[in-house]
Amino acid sequence: MSRIPAWIAATGLALTAVTAEPALAAGERVKVTGEVIDSWCYITEIMFPEGSAHHQCAVWCAAGGIPVGILGDDGTVYMVLKMGDDATSVANPAVLEIQTHRVKVDGALYKRDGINYLIVDRVLADEGIVKVNHEEWGVQPFGK
Amino acid sequence: MKRISSAAALIAGLLAAAPAWAAEEWGLPEEEVARFEAKVVDVLCELTGDCPGDCGAGNRQLGLVTDAGVLVLPVKNFTAFSGAAAELIDFCGKRVVADGLFTTNRDTKIFALQFVKEAPDGKWRRANRFLTKWAEANGFQAGGPEAKQWFRNDPQVKAVIGRDGVLGLGTEADKDYLEKQ
Repeated sequence: MSRIPAWIAATGLALTAVTAEPALAAGERVKVTGEVIDSWCYITEIMFPEGSAHHQCAVWCAAGGIPVGILGDDGTVYMVLKMGDDATSVANPAVLEIQTHRVKVDGALYKRDGINYLIVDRVLADEGIVKVNHEEWGVQPFGK
Repeated sequence: MKRISSAAALIAGLLAAAPAWAAEEWGLPEEEVARFEAKVVDVLCELTGDCPGDCGAGNRQLGLVTDAGVLVLPVKNFTAFSGAAAELIDFCGKRVVADGLFTTNRDTKIFALQFVKEAPDGKWRRANRFLTKWAEANGFQAGGPEAKQWFRNDPQVKAVIGRDGVLGLGTEADKDYLEKQ
């Protein structure tokens, strides 16, 4: 295994110094407002990843099991692991229904190794798609 | 959005990937080619203790916990528009060798899984089992044209896009937009 990135080793050493097994902790209670996004396209920027321009691609990616995220108004990316009582986070039909929508949710936040994981308890508000930007960006990534 | 021009090339590559048992570079932000051993875990279980025992039977996001205790999130596999859970569910609770790319951007570090095998000496798999599973679930031939364009043929996608349009604003909005093109 000659290609273990240095950050894994470094982070691991730090963790090992504290405890061999990560302890389970209650998540931090949070309310998050932002756009439901496809995490892959947003983080990698391989295409324009927001709003109506990217809606079709975001639905494709959610149906394909790529983690759905919420892009908070402050720019923080949250990976959604659960919606209410439904622990399905791979191609969840209920999540496809709110893809690209601006929502306000409450739930529990777990931070681990640089990623913000969100357990959504409730969707408090759903404004639908508010970023109407296809005139500027076209339909990502292929056109219609 | 300087990387937008690379999107079509990357997706085209995923649709017609060449055989090799080592990760190929995709030109992602702060990209790191990586091969490492890890245990396949149910991420929700790992974080909260909600553990159904079968890693959620493919319905939950799966993670890779390294020997150093780092939880890696594989977000992408080696087929277009699809994730890694379908590639890893067969290895729930087992150790694997994962081969692929780390990418870091927008304060988030994720992993794209390209190849995987059971550690230490399993047979390498390309991380494209999603297409076979999708084809089987939807009554198409694996490797057929419908599977290669699964994202245009998926019933769930067709229902949502058929109702809301490609823009998500209704089919009339689609029509108005396309008439201007």
